[in-house]
Amino acid sequence: MSRKEALSQFIQQIHGRPVVVKLNSGVDYRGVLACLDGYMNIALEQTEEYVNGQLKDKYGDAFIRGNNVLYISTHKRRAN
Amino acid sequence: MADEAEHVPAINVKEPLDLIRLSLDERIYVKMRNERELRGRLHAYDQHLNMVLGEVEETVTTIEIDEETYEEVYRTTKRTIPMLFVRGDGVILVSPPSMRAAI
Repeated sequence: MSRKEALSQFIQQIHGRPVVVKLNSGVDYRGVLACLDGYMNIALEQTEEYVNGQLKDKYGDAFIRGNNVLYISTHKRRAN
Repeated sequence: MADEAEHVPAINVKEPLDLIRLSLDERIYVKMRNERELRGRLHAYDQHLNMVLGEVEETVTTIEIDEETYEEVYRTTKRTIPMLFVRGDGVILVSPPSMRAAI
């Protein structure tokens, strides 16, 4: 499998999965990944906003502008 | 089959911007840089997330340090704007009205 395939396979696999999206500001968004595009714009469902590890807000659906994204993680958020 | 080589993976054809398109003429919540929040009716948008919002309520949150107790005091300032053009690069998050009670 080429590296490019590995990347697109990861992106396919995480659709509909719970993810953690971290922004450059350090804010975390936990939710179910509805979709993403080439700019790394992200649509999340059942979104929870965590600031400094504390739940600050909830959104039913959320669009996150791609330029703010640091990473997308499939790992369950560690309890802290 | 020839189709096999061109097989497109069965990912959701929906793209994130569809979420914005479905929010046209609805009241949306926009989280901006510099601790600014907007709530308003989405009249138009483009691929950069430049937006035209109507009947906007802007909330600005500032953190002030109390000079005596050194406690952090969060102060919110609100104002309303009848019509607003928002430049897309300041946008962090957009949320449609669904499930948000207090918009």
